[in-house]
Amino acid sequence: MPIKILPESVTNKIAAGEVVENPASVVKELMENAIDASARSIQIRVEGGGKDLIILSDDGIGIPIEEIALAITRFATSKIDSIEDLQRIHSLGFRGEALASIAAVSMLRIQTRSKDETEGSELICEHGKLKSISRKGFPQGSSFEVRDLFSNVPARLKFLKSERTERSRITDLVLYYALAYPHLRFILEMEGRVVLQTAGNGNQREILAAVYDVETARQMLEVNLEEQGYSIHGFCSPVGITRSNRRDIHFFINGRLVQDVSLASALVNSYHSYLMVGRYPIAIVFLKVPPADVDINIHPAKAEVRFADARAVSGKLARAVRLALLASSPAPTFNQTLWGSSNVETKEYEIFNPSQHDFPPSSETGSIEGITTPESNHVQAALGLDEHMPLLRVVGQVGATYIVAEGPDGLYLIDQHAAHERILYEQILDKRVQKKDMQLLLDPILFTPNARETVLLASVEDTLEEIGFQVDAFGPGTYSIRAVPAFMSRTFSLRIITDALHELDDEKSSAVSKEKEEVVIRSICKGAAIKGGTILSKEEQENLIRQLETCQNPRTCPHGRPTMIHLSVDILERQFGRKGSR
Amino acid sequence: MKLSVSQPQLAHGLGIVTRAVSPRSTLPVLNNILLATDEGRLRLSATNLELGITKWIGAQIQEEGSITIPARIFSDLIGALPGNTVDLTLNTRTQTLNIHCGTSNFDIKGIDAQEFPPMPVPDLQNGVELNISDFKEMIQQVSFAASTDEARPVLQGVMMEIGNNEITLAATDGFRISVKKTSLSTPVSAPVKVIIPARSLSELARIATNGDETISMVVPEGRGQAIFHLKDAELVSQLIDGKFPDYNAIIPRSFKTNTTITTVEFQKACRQAEIIARESNNVIRMHIQPQEQGPGIVEFSTQSEERGSGEVVLEANIDGPELLIAFNVSYLLNVLDVISTPNTILATNADNTPGLIRPVGDESYLHVIMPMHLG
Repeated sequence: MPIKILPESVTNKIAAGEVVENPASVVKELMENAIDASARSIQIRVEGGGKDLIILSDDGIGIPIEEIALAITRFATSKIDSIEDLQRIHSLGFRGEALASIAAVSMLRIQTRSKDETEGSELICEHGKLKSISRKGFPQGSSFEVRDLFSNVPARLKFLKSERTERSRITDLVLYYALAYPHLRFILEMEGRVVLQTAGNGNQREILAAVYDVETARQMLEVNLEEQGYSIHGFCSPVGITRSNRRDIHFFINGRLVQDVSLASALVNSYHSYLMVGRYPIAIVFLKVPPADVDINIHPAKAEVRFADARAVSGKLARAVRLALLASSPAPTFNQTLWGSSNVETKEYEIFNPSQHDFPPSSETGSIEGITTPESNHVQAALGLDEHMPLLRVVGQVGATYIVAEGPDGLYLIDQHAAHERILYEQILDKRVQKKDMQLLLDPILFTPNARETVLLASVEDTLEEIGFQVDAFGPGTYSIRAVPAFMSRTFSLRIITDALHELDDEKSSAVSKEKEEVVIRSICKGAAIKGGTILSKEEQENLIRQLETCQNPRTCPHGRPTMIHLSVDILERQFGRKGSR
Repeated sequence: MKLSVSQPQLAHGLGIVTRAVSPRSTLPVLNNILLATDEGRLRLSATNLELGITKWIGAQIQEEGSITIPARIFSDLIGALPGNTVDLTLNTRTQTLNIHCGTSNFDIKGIDAQEFPPMPVPDLQNGVELNISDFKEMIQQVSFAASTDEARPVLQGVMMEIGNNEITLAATDGFRISVKKTSLSTPVSAPVKVIIPARSLSELARIATNGDETISMVVPEGRGQAIFHLKDAELVSQLIDGKFPDYNAIIPRSFKTNTTITTVEFQKACRQAEIIARESNNVIRMHIQPQEQGPGIVEFSTQSEERGSGEVVLEANIDGPELLIAFNVSYLLNVLDVISTPNTILATNADNTPGLIRPVGDESYLHVIMPMHLG
């Protein structure tokens, strides 16, 4: 076949494939248009999972009669004039592809009236071919009716997921946008049923309840950070609420829903050592970034962006989340239901209320420039808040596994293994830089790892050395361990190293060397910590508690399990019926 | 079964055998003590299948028989009884033991003695005769160096080698080695080379109190057991199967610096330093400094970032060059505790090669410790 330029009908369909992937992407494009058109209210009706019908009506500025024909042509937009405008773009759309793409793969009807005109217009377009434009009377705003999506692209139709999946995609999408634009009224109607209606009063937590559930919404922590033209705002889960995957982590960047792996991993890392292995937080975070610092024109559907300084953004996000977490890390309280009583109110979880943790507003601290940066001040304030555990008096040991202790505010049950793990972990992190005492071995322990282990071992050799191991190559496929860290001379066994390697192997995501290091250290702590079932003398118990008190982060073990459970005096009194009604 | 025993003897006997009772056994009968009449005496036995202890006490037997009784209940009860004669009567139909002492009368439910694992009967003809006090000292000097790491069972044991009219015990946990040799008064017929759990030997040292008696040790062929027979007690231990490290290859043959220190002073210096050292990985530094004239000095120093620091200076006879070496102070204390001679020698080469500690004037014992490397 000779080379030739494709006719427009074909190029439009190809382009449509990039922008319009599924019914949800139609909703997304139309919703973004409505938002760009300064709509106050957006009403969406979906039928047949979006394949049969999508109607989106807004009360925005509308399209003037003379421009309506252009609207469905490719690269036609009202949003930018020149390429330089991309640098300071504030609207969601700019490529001028969306409507053209939707028009190319559906039966499209646009009804609109511009706010400056008294008469509206109606455009009908079938599979990209303009059928008619007529003048009619309409209320101000636009209404887009998309019927029989992909009816002329059978391949695409075939690859659509089930109606149910498409419906939930659309619902999620509208929910996230409703959350991102709490001042707009959203009404989503599906198969004749209203599934979402927001008041447009700016209350995000109300919308959160629709996104998750009422209880989760109530507990979600608020993330807030503003500096250097960046604004980070949103919600993340407290440590008690987790998911088994990262799918519930969403980002809006400058009002646009985007996927960003590095932001997501920055967020997950902020939970580092709070969450159990394989558990992930849920979060929805809205970032406002100076337009010049972000390139949004790298993906046709704008689902991905590129930052001028990705590390700085990740860093700010991580700090913001960390602040929210620090402000709210209580020792987990005892699950009331286990005690057979559900009518007891706990106060411990009233942690999401940001007014309880008033940080100095950054504008104030900013005035003492050069002395403290606002963020260091924030961290300090947060650390002082709830991070350190109270002084405890050891009462005794239960089941050779838990230490019972009394604090000023009630009873604490401490898991000796988790607590010791945390102590060792912080000791290693503290010491490995300056000081590593090693106990040399009389006779080197020979270690013959398998091929997989050898690769892993090579990748963490430096870390092991930093902790205080001396591992040398000793002939083909054999390593010799000549020294072990002094703190674990009593507890060392070869299994600790092989376990660490296996754990590293399981942790597929840890491509970053720093993460690898931490996986290894965590695993080694686990191996070296006193086990549950070990009877401890009173001195040993006291020593353990005293060391735990000096930890930065005494509430959880490095794997995120709690080290202690708190039974407050209040709970005890209620449980014994001394206080309140039962 | 119907018999009478003295309460103090019975309580003492129970105190010995209950050490072999496993606190958390899945086999109920292992929580019990076997009581059986045995040639005019009462036999008490307990076992956790790794270690079994039997004790015989004098009794007036009116009727033969046997039963197993829950160890905890029985020993608590006997311990609480007045120091008179205790009458034990078994009701075979209900397997209930009646315990009568003065005005106290108890009935305890037991388990049929048939269910109790049979204890091996040693053939004492081929036994090795060991002097109790010598052997107890050997155990004390060696067994502490054994490992507690369950992942390396061989190191949880003590290597025992008998041959050439000499017995050698050795134990190591990978960081230190203890070796003790003693000559035997009576020659052995066949050499012995077995690994005995350190815990079993410690129990043996506890049981064996009569200083002048001998212990007969029997290692029956192919049974994987060692049996230690005392006059009125017996201990059966499972042996550990495996290859014990070749410790002779690890112990250095020659040393550059020999430091002779008064044992008591050495011990005191370590005790003092340990108070600070236990806060920071138990590290104690020894700066061994020979002097031009007169005796040299050893400076012991310890440091903890959180707690502070300290030094102790001792005079010592030093032969060889100066050296700064670091040890785990608890390892030093462990070995100094079992050295009974007035002076101790510390022999060293470098700060990363093993140091040897042995009593001055006693060639039969040596202890090797690997130093620490400080970051």
